[in-house]
Amino acid sequence: MLQGALAGLAAGGLYAVLAVCLTLMSRLVRVVNFAQSATAMFGSYVAVYLAVHIGLPVWLATVVGILLGGALSALLGWVISTWLAEADTGTRSAVTVAVLLLLISLSFILFGNKPQPFQPLLGGPAFEIGGVVVSQVTVVTVGLAVLVALGCRAVLTRTSAGVALRALSERPTTAELLGIPAKPLSVAVWAVTGLISTLMISIVAPSQSNDATSLAMLVVPSAAAALLGGFRRLDLAVIGGLVLGMLQGALAQSDSLSIARYFLPFVVIAGLLLWSQRKEVWDAAR
Amino acid sequence: MPLAERKPARSIGIPLLIAVVAVAVGYGLSVGLEGYFVYLGMSAVVAAIALLGLGVVTGSAGMISLCQLTFAAVGAWVVSALNKAEAPGGFLVWLLLGGLAAGVVGILVGLPALRLRGINLAVVTLGLAAAADLTLVQLQFPGVSEGISVLRPDAFTDDRSYFLLAVVVLVACCLAVYFLRRGRWGSGWQAVAFSERGTAAAGASVRTSKLTAFAVSATLGGISGGLLTGQVGLAFPASFTSIQSLALYVLAIMSGAHLIDMAVFGAVLWVAVPELLKRWGVPQDWGYVVFGLLGVQALTSGGNLGTALRELWHRRARSREGNGHVGIEHREVETVDEAPPPGPPVLVVRDLSVRFGQVAALSSVDIAVPEHGILGVIGPNGAGKSTLVDAISGFLPQAQGEVELGGGPLTGPPTRRARSGLRRTFQQDRVPPGLTVEAYVRFVARRRLATREIADALEFFGCPPARTPLSRVDVGARRLVEVVGHLLARPRILLLDEPAAGLPHEEHVAFGERLRRVPARFGVSLLLIEHDLDLVRSVCDTITVLDFGQVLATGPQAEVLADPAVLKAYMGETELL
Amino acid sequence: MRKILRSLAIVIAVVLFAGGCAGSDTGTSGPIVVGSVNALSGAATFPEASQAAKAVFDAANAAGGVNGRKIEYKAIDDKGDPAAAAAAARELVGGDKAVALAGSSSLIECQINAKYYEQQKILSVPGIGVDPACFTSPNIGPANVGPFHDMTLSLLYGSEVLKLNDICALLEIAGNTLPSYQAAIDEWSTITGKKLKYVDATVPYGGSDYTSYIVKARAAGCKAITVNPVEPDSIGQLKAAQAQGWNDVTWLLLTSVYSENYAKAVQNAGAGVYVPAEFYPFTDAASPQNKDWRELMAKNGIPLTSFSQGGYLAAKYFLAVLKGIKGDITRESVTKALHEMQPITDPMVGTPYVFGNGKTHHDNTAGWPVKLASGAGKWELAANDWLRIPKK
Repeated sequence: MLQGALAGLAAGGLYAVLAVCLTLMSRLVRVVNFAQSATAMFGSYVAVYLAVHIGLPVWLATVVGILLGGALSALLGWVISTWLAEADTGTRSAVTVAVLLLLISLSFILFGNKPQPFQPLLGGPAFEIGGVVVSQVTVVTVGLAVLVALGCRAVLTRTSAGVALRALSERPTTAELLGIPAKPLSVAVWAVTGLISTLMISIVAPSQSNDATSLAMLVVPSAAAALLGGFRRLDLAVIGGLVLGMLQGALAQSDSLSIARYFLPFVVIAGLLLWSQRKEVWDAAR
Repeated sequence: MPLAERKPARSIGIPLLIAVVAVAVGYGLSVGLEGYFVYLGMSAVVAAIALLGLGVVTGSAGMISLCQLTFAAVGAWVVSALNKAEAPGGFLVWLLLGGLAAGVVGILVGLPALRLRGINLAVVTLGLAAAADLTLVQLQFPGVSEGISVLRPDAFTDDRSYFLLAVVVLVACCLAVYFLRRGRWGSGWQAVAFSERGTAAAGASVRTSKLTAFAVSATLGGISGGLLTGQVGLAFPASFTSIQSLALYVLAIMSGAHLIDMAVFGAVLWVAVPELLKRWGVPQDWGYVVFGLLGVQALTSGGNLGTALRELWHRRARSREGNGHVGIEHREVETVDEAPPPGPPVLVVRDLSVRFGQVAALSSVDIAVPEHGILGVIGPNGAGKSTLVDAISGFLPQAQGEVELGGGPLTGPPTRRARSGLRRTFQQDRVPPGLTVEAYVRFVARRRLATREIADALEFFGCPPARTPLSRVDVGARRLVEVVGHLLARPRILLLDEPAAGLPHEEHVAFGERLRRVPARFGVSLLLIEHDLDLVRSVCDTITVLDFGQVLATGPQAEVLADPAVLKAYMGETELL
Repeated sequence: MRKILRSLAIVIAVVLFAGGCAGSDTGTSGPIVVGSVNALSGAATFPEASQAAKAVFDAANAAGGVNGRKIEYKAIDDKGDPAAAAAAARELVGGDKAVALAGSSSLIECQINAKYYEQQKILSVPGIGVDPACFTSPNIGPANVGPFHDMTLSLLYGSEVLKLNDICALLEIAGNTLPSYQAAIDEWSTITGKKLKYVDATVPYGGSDYTSYIVKARAAGCKAITVNPVEPDSIGQLKAAQAQGWNDVTWLLLTSVYSENYAKAVQNAGAGVYVPAEFYPFTDAASPQNKDWRELMAKNGIPLTSFSQGGYLAAKYFLAVLKGIKGDITRESVTKALHEMQPITDPMVGTPYVFGNGKTHHDNTAGWPVKLASGAGKWELAANDWLRIPKK
C-alpha cells in the first residue's frame, strides 16, 4: 500500500498544482475553468510539434509551448471578461466546457491521436525510501505544488497587484470605482494560471501516457482537490491533490478495489459537498 | 401538481393534436425514407430525448449537467440486464424501468450537489462521467460478451417500425415534459433558475425544485440510453463517453434545448452535422469543433440558435402585437371594503439581533404587527430594514431572537416559514421571466385558484392580464404581480420590501389606496418597508423607525413622525419628510 | 410544442435532401461497390487500412477493372461510435448495395454488425480485425492474425525463444475481450505447460499514470510483462517503469505498438520490447516480401504501418476472388466465391488466407518477431522465419 501511495504522489503533485490554478481562478475571476488542463495540453502539444517537425531545440520549443498555453488561456479570459463581465459563475464556467470540447477535438485534428513523442525534461528515479523508488518527476511536481501555492499566497497578500485582485473579487463594483483595471487584471490571472499549468503538463506529460483526452480530463481529480479547499483555500487544495493521488495509487494495488479508484475523485467531490453544505446558505445574489 | 382548475380545452387539445400529427409524420418518414436514413433518424430520436432532458436541467432550471450519457448508460444497463435475464414485460417495460433507474441515480448524484449553485453540479457530474467512462470500458454491459442482442418488441423488429416506435416514445416524452413544465414542478424549475431566494419565499423548496429537474432529466437520459440499446442491439461503452456528454451539453446550450422544438432541432443537428461533414469529405472531428465554437458564441452572446430562429419566425407576429412592455393600468375600483378593526398581534418579533462579522446590522429589535393591521417600517439607508425582513423570513440563519406568528414560534428555513403563513417580497426583481403571469401567480399562491379569482386580484392592482408572459411585463408591474401572488396565497402576514420602488411616482397614490384595503379584501396583515413617506403616511396606522439597527421610535403614525429623534435621524434626508 | 411540427418539417427536408443525393442503384453494368467501416476520427483511429485497400482497387481500376467493371470503394467512418458503425453498415449494405466489405479496420464494427451481415448474407474481409467478434463470425474473415493469437505468439516467444520465466500479464480490458485474452493465455499454457506469474486484468485503458501498476508488477517479482496496449498506454507504462528505475524488464507486446512513431517515442525500452508482427515486418526496408506493398504505398503517400499491410492484403485477396468469378458479380456470386475460394499464399503472411465455410475465422497463426532495444529508436528483426502456434 505504501509503495502504491508513493507511486501515486507524482500524479498527486500534478493534481495539486492544477487545483491551485482552479482555486485561483474561482476566487479571483469567478470561474471554474474546465479547460484548465486542456489549454495546457494544447500548449505542450505545440511544443512537441515545434521540436519534432520544425526542429527547434527542446528547451526553446517547451518555452514557446508554455507561452502559448498562457496566451491561449489569456485569450479565453479576454473573451469571458469582455462579453460575460457581469454573468454568473455558471455561465462563465459553461464557456470553458465548450472550450474543453473544442480543444480536445482540435488537437485530434492538428496533432492526430497518436502519442506525442515528448522529450523528457526529467527522468529516472531520484532516491529510494524503504525499497520504494521516488522518481525525479515526483520530487519536482510535489515541490512545484508547494512552491506555486506559497508563491500565489505571497503575491495575493504582499503585493499591491494581489491586494487589487482580492478587492476586485470581493467588491467588484467598489474596486472599479477605485480605478482598479478589472479586465487587464482578470486576463493576467488567466494568463498566469495558463502558464503554470502548461509548465506542469510539459514536465509530467513525457513521463506518463499523454493522449489529448486523458490530459484534458486531469481537470476532474484536480477539481476534487480544489473542492477540499472549497475553491477558496490554496493550502487545502494542495493537500487535497497530494492525498488524492496517493489514495489512487494505493487503491490500484488491490485488484478488487481498482474500480473504486476511478470513482475516488467523484466520491471525494460528493462527500465534500455533503459535508460543506450541511447548513443551508443563502447566496445574496440570487 | 394541481393544474389549472378549469383548463380551457385547447390547452390540452392542441398539444395532443400536434402529438398525433407528429406520430403521423413519423410514420410517413418510416415508410418513405431509405433504410440508411431511417437508421439515422433513430439516432436523431435517441439524441432528441437526451437533449430534452438536458433542456429541463440546463435550460429550465439553469444548472450545468455534464453526464447525460452516463444516465443513458444506466438506462442501457438496465435494459441489457433485463433482456439477458429474460425478464417479463418486454422491451417497453424495460425501457421504462431503465428510465426510472436513471432517475433514481440522478437523485442520488444530485443530492450532494444541489444545495448551492449549479457549478457544483457541473463538477460532480463531470466527475461521475469520467469515472463511469473508465468503469464501463472495464466492465461490460450485461449480455454483451455472450452476444445477446436486446430484443425489440415483436411488432417493431425491423428498422422501419422500430423508428416509428422511437418516434412514439419521443412524442410521449415531449408531451410529458410539456405538461410537467406547465405544472407546479415546471414553475419551480423556472423560479429556481432565476432566483433561489424568490423560490424559497414562495414556499417552494429549492432543493426539491432542483432535484425534480435533475431527476426528470436523468430519467429522459435513461430512456434514450435504453432506446439506443434497442437500436444497436448491444450496448457499448463507446456510446456513452464523457466527451460525448460534453458535446451533448454544448449542443443543448447552443440549440436552446429548453424549448421542445429546439431539442428536436438540436438532435437533427447532432445527426446532420456529421452526415454533412461525411458527404463533404471533412474529417468528423471538425463536428465537435463546430459545436464548441457555436456553444461559446451562444453563451457569450446570451442567445442561442433556438431563440434566434424563433425570433425570426415570430418577427411578423410580434410587429402586429406591438413589441412594447406592458405596465400598470389602474381602473377605478368602486366597492369600498370596510376595514375590520386591528386585532391581537399576528407577528411578534422579540429581541432580534443580526451580526455580519463585527458589524451589528440589527440589535434587539422588537416589533409587533396586529391582525388586519399595516405596520410601516422606515429608516435611513443602511438602517437594517431589509435585514429585518431577511431575518424574519428565515434567510439569515445566524439571526438571534424570537419570532412568533399567530402565537406560535416561527423557526426553520424560509420555505417552512413561507408555508406556515409568512410571506415576503423582494426589493430586487425576483420574478422569473420565463413564465406567464398566471403560471407565476399559481406557483406563488400554492393553492387551488379559480381563474376568476386571479383575474380579479390582478385587476384590483391594475396588473397585466393573466395570460401575458412575464418577459413582456415591465419591472414595476412585475413586482405588483409578485405582491398579488403572495396575497393570493392567503398568508397571515406579508412583508413588503419597498414594493413601489419600480413604479412611476404618480402611481404611488393609487397603489397606496389599494394596499390600504388589502387587510379587508384578502384578510392579510402587512409589514411595509418603504422610502416614500407619502405612501407610508397614506397606508400605515402604526410606524416603526429603525436607525443603525435599533428601534428609534414606534407607535401611531402621527406621534412617531413628530418625534424629534426621528426628525434628527432623517436630517440628511429631509426631503423625504 | 406547436413548433415540433416545424422542426419535423426541417428534419424531413434535410433527410429527404440528403436522401436524394444518396440514392444510386447498382445494376450489373455499373461499378462494383465494395465498402468498409473504419475508425477514422475520434480518440483512436486506423485510417491506413482503408487507404491501402483503396490504393489496391484504384490500381485494379487503372488496369481495366474486373471484367470491364470498375470497383467503387467506399470507406465510411464509424467515429468509434456504435450507432454510427451500425448506420455505416446500413448505408453500405442497404443504401449503396455493396457486394461485400473489404479492408475495414475498426475497434467495434465486427461486434455490432456481425448479426446484420448474417441477415443480409454479405461477407466482410477486414484488413485489421480487433474485437473478438471479428474472429468468431461466419460472415467475417479478417486478413490479420488478431490480438488474441498475437498474445499467444508473444508469450511463446518470451518463454520458448527468450527463455524467460516469471512472465506477468497486464491486460487492458475494453468491453468483452477478457475471455478471449484468457483463452489466448490458456492456449500458451497448454502448449508450454507453463503458467503466468500473475494476471492483472484491471489495468485501465487510456489511463493517465501507470506507475502504481508497474510498482505492483515489480514487487511481485515479474521479469517480463505482456500487455495488450494501445500505443499511448504502452508508452506510459514504459515511462513509468523507467521512472522507477526498472531497467531489466522485458516487454512482450502486440502488433498494436509496432510502428515507427512508437519506436521514436520510446527512449528506454528496459530489456527490450518484443512484438510478433502480424505481417512481414515493414521496417525491414529491403525485404522482397513487402516490395509490391511498399511501392504501392509510397506511390499513394500512405504511411507504412501494419494497418496498411492489413488493408492491402484484404483488398488483394478480395480482388483475386473477384477476378475468379465467372458471370455476374453480385452479392450472391461474391459470397459464393469467397466461400469456395482456394487458399491464397502471400509472402507477407505466414499462414495462407482462406475465407471458406467456417463458422469462425481465427486461423492466421503466424507472426514474425521484431525487437525494439533501449535507445535504438527503431525496430529490428528478431528472427529469420515465422513464429507459428503449433497445431494441436
